[in-house]
Amino acid sequence: MRAVRLGVWAAGATLCTAMLIGTIRGHVDAGFYVGNALSTSTGNVFVVPHNQAYAGYLVALVAITLGVLVWGLRPDSRTGILLTAMPIIGLLTDPIVFAGSRVAVTVGLAAAWLDAVIAAHLILSYPTGRFTSRLDRGFVAVGYGFALVSALPFLLFFDPRAPHDRDVWDCYSCALPLTHVAWHDVTGVRHVLNGVGVALIVLFIALLLRKIVRAVPVARSVALPLAVVAFVGAARFASLLALRLLAPSSNVSWSSAWDWSAIFVTLAISLALAAGMLWGGAGRGAVADLVVELERTPPGSVRDALARALGDPSLELGLWLPERTAYVDHGGRPLDLPTALSRAVTVLGPPGAPVAALVHDPALLERPALLQSAGAAARLALENERLQAELRLQLAEVRASRARIVTAGDEERRRLERDLHDGAQQRLLSLGLALQLVRAEVGPEANGAATLLGEAEAELAAALEELRQLAQGIHPAVLTEHGVGPALKTLVARSPLPVELQHVPDERLPAPLEAAAYFLVSEALANVAKHARASAVSVSIVCEDGSLVVEVDDDGVGGAAPRTGSGLAGLADRLHALDGVLTIESEAGCGTRLRAEIPYAAVTAAP
Amino acid sequence: MRRRVLIVDDHPSFRRFATRLLERSGFCVVGEAEDGASALAASHRLRPELVLLDVLLPDMSGFAVAEVLAGDSHHPRVVLVSSRSASELGPALEESPAAGFLTKSELTADALAAIADGAP
Repeated sequence: MRAVRLGVWAAGATLCTAMLIGTIRGHVDAGFYVGNALSTSTGNVFVVPHNQAYAGYLVALVAITLGVLVWGLRPDSRTGILLTAMPIIGLLTDPIVFAGSRVAVTVGLAAAWLDAVIAAHLILSYPTGRFTSRLDRGFVAVGYGFALVSALPFLLFFDPRAPHDRDVWDCYSCALPLTHVAWHDVTGVRHVLNGVGVALIVLFIALLLRKIVRAVPVARSVALPLAVVAFVGAARFASLLALRLLAPSSNVSWSSAWDWSAIFVTLAISLALAAGMLWGGAGRGAVADLVVELERTPPGSVRDALARALGDPSLELGLWLPERTAYVDHGGRPLDLPTALSRAVTVLGPPGAPVAALVHDPALLERPALLQSAGAAARLALENERLQAELRLQLAEVRASRARIVTAGDEERRRLERDLHDGAQQRLLSLGLALQLVRAEVGPEANGAATLLGEAEAELAAALEELRQLAQGIHPAVLTEHGVGPALKTLVARSPLPVELQHVPDERLPAPLEAAAYFLVSEALANVAKHARASAVSVSIVCEDGSLVVEVDDDGVGGAAPRTGSGLAGLADRLHALDGVLTIESEAGCGTRLRAEIPYAAVTAAP
Repeated sequence: MRRRVLIVDDHPSFRRFATRLLERSGFCVVGEAEDGASALAASHRLRPELVLLDVLLPDMSGFAVAEVLAGDSHHPRVVLVSSRSASELGPALEESPAAGFLTKSELTADALAAIADGAP
């Protein structure tokens, strides 16, 4: 970027210097000096007083230099680029500068209004170089459009053989006609275009007044000198056009005073802009803009607003979390402050109680006042952002701990099932064997005892079955050992309803997902059996876009809703803990569709 | 001739009652083991015809023990037992080379003899 700026400055400075030298060495029309290098000479001579020419080129050189300076020192603002472009375009489109080339003169005439529109753009978008109102942006867009088309009628339809009024034609006679179609009524067109020009300038003055009235006081004081100059320039331009319109025969446009005023306005605009941008005013303007911008900054964008105000796109923002005694970024990720010399750190907030740290380009250290005032302006927004980051972190922790609680609950259920299996169930099974032994001991003759034994064995079998079902309900062993597919096959085999298992994964899934899917289907099947009066149920579990999707459909009476405290509500809670969602479609008479989506990420990310 | 049986289960009370029941019903219980490793060692040493093998052992699963025994030179017939039902044990049971399966509540001398007599 630095090389581009230097290149632009060198080109502009070379042009100005060449014109100056040409003028000093006696070429009244210094344009030949430059233009001869380009192409065929036109033989036309524009007479400009020497002292005016010196002043004009010197002012252009000063304006280009100031523009490049502002561009370099305030890269965040487009003002520098526009301020550089204005005099360069002015030089390039001046018929005198490239008077030796008919092509260059033609292009210059075609774009004669361009530098004036750039000036309007520059002034209306000052000091950031960005429009704050749509009206301003629209006006400048119309201005550029006008600048591009206003000369076309003359360039297209100029007939050098036709008689013409010098006031109307200006110097179109030395341009390259694009066609040879004669059109004698161009005078009327010229008047219409001049009228549009006057209207545009009046509109510009109105927009400028509006900008001044609406500006915050600090910005107004910065922009006011510029505005005064702009008013003078605009008024000069407008009256020139109006005079041509009303009194075509007057020769005012070539009078020396008017040309001097043009030179003065260019110099004054450059100086006013550059002074505002370079000597603190625009710094205060940037902070004032920041204050206004922060008012409507959405959470999480304070960094962007600060980066714009400070002119450092690489700015990083670290929010201080006192509980963790660490800096985090907006997303709550830890941010280590750099120690390398390529980055600088400014801590915001009172000593000993930081609010935030700015990690920025070391060049900003040259402007400590700007850093501190921008930091102070953003203080409240930063506090807000810090609280949000803290909240987000806490929320993430709560979610993680909720998932951990579910996992721990599952683990506890697995342990309970195992304890029942290893303890009470084994003792009862041994008791069954003992009863078989007793039966063998007493023999078939002892009728009373054999009957009693039979009853005891039946009671034992019932107890074992109840115990087995209890253990199964707590956490089926087949789920622990073989996964959700085999577990669901076991579940379905015991279901009183015909259940079609459409898809079930054969592979193992993370345990919390398997448990959630299994218990969801189990609860759903129990509900269907109890309430739905369904004749068929289908179950499918598929992996889709990083989520496990569980669906249970029945053709029953519908009308199901998860009431608080019901099994379904409990399952919904379990799913939420895993960042999953449960949806129930159950219109009366249309069956019930239960659909759960559980993301894999929540399970695999849970610490 | 009495069938030589090895009983493998990690619950001592189960082993004790099963031994007494089978001894009484014409089996010869040649040994007991409480986990997979000692079951393999005992089978190698005692060369039983029949191994009554619990599925859930502390060190390895009964399925794994059955796999190893199937490759043993004296080919003991393995009958898996579990307090869980066949459906709860899942596909591993179907793939196992064991000669048969009984839940522990189904276990009687007659049921065991029926599997032991079945075609290899």
